[in-house]
Amino acid sequence: MTVETLESPRRSAPPGGSTERIQTVTSSTFELLVLQGVGPIAVEFMSYGCAHCRLIEPVLQHVAEVLRAKEKVFRVNVAVEQELAVTYGIQGTPTLIMFLNGRETGRVDGPRPTESSVFTALTQPFQG
Amino acid sequence: MIPIPLQPRPILLFDDECGVCRRIARWVQRSARLESGQSSIIVRPIGGDPDALRSLNPDLDIWTAYATIHLLMPDGSMKLGGEAIAEVLRSLHSTKWFAWSFAIAIFGFRPFQMLLNLAYAILADVRPVFGCESCGTPSPWVKPIHWMFHWRRVGASATPHFTSLSTGRRPS
Repeated sequence: MTVETLESPRRSAPPGGSTERIQTVTSSTFELLVLQGVGPIAVEFMSYGCAHCRLIEPVLQHVAEVLRAKEKVFRVNVAVEQELAVTYGIQGTPTLIMFLNGRETGRVDGPRPTESSVFTALTQPFQG
Repeated sequence: MIPIPLQPRPILLFDDECGVCRRIARWVQRSARLESGQSSIIVRPIGGDPDALRSLNPDLDIWTAYATIHLLMPDGSMKLGGEAIAEVLRSLHSTKWFAWSFAIAIFGFRPFQMLLNLAYAILADVRPVFGCESCGTPSPWVKPIHWMFHWRRVGASATPHFTSLSTGRRPS
């Protein structure tokens, strides 16, 4: 996989609404979209009140756009989906968990809010 | 165009994951109680549902709501930061006697409002020191103080870009 763009993290407010590249999954859709999903899937366990999640949001949106054809990126709001957070042993936010054909293949707690860090976190578990 | 639902009273949104914000919100809630039993301001946690927030005002984004204090006015406008605090103080019986001063303008500048904006910026910066795990990495000038408090509580091994969940545990 190649990095299409690598730039310093943008500090602007993350986009919301229709520009979102990351779909939110809930406990009722997690099974279908993530565990039964085919190919590489990344799930960000986050909370809207978490400042680190706010920092990483625009970076993650951009990386999700870059990887759109190769990897799906979802988010789980742990403030709402506490059961999923407990099931996956989430100790803090943001936590990225990578799944390949429904099986966890890697996770990163609190990645640096830079495109290279997030890109590496999202792609490395699927290499090799 | 989506119609903005009119609220009879201003709505103050607060970060319910931040201890300092919760204490301030409780104080506002107590102070806003009128003799009739009603409240002059609705105090509401931001919560975790972006759509619920957008139903209050279509322009309201959950990320910016957590970044800066928001006061939703009955006419559909929003006041942010120091302007929101000034409006709250103007609405409270116990503080409105001095809150008029924030509107005083001298040569186009509002010195008391500028002081309030500065005070808000400082408070927002020092929140991590007084117990706001969700506030993230503190500003450079707060970092040494925050580090001392943080180190005393959890030690120096915590991941820097990570907000711990008190309920999180690894699966067995």
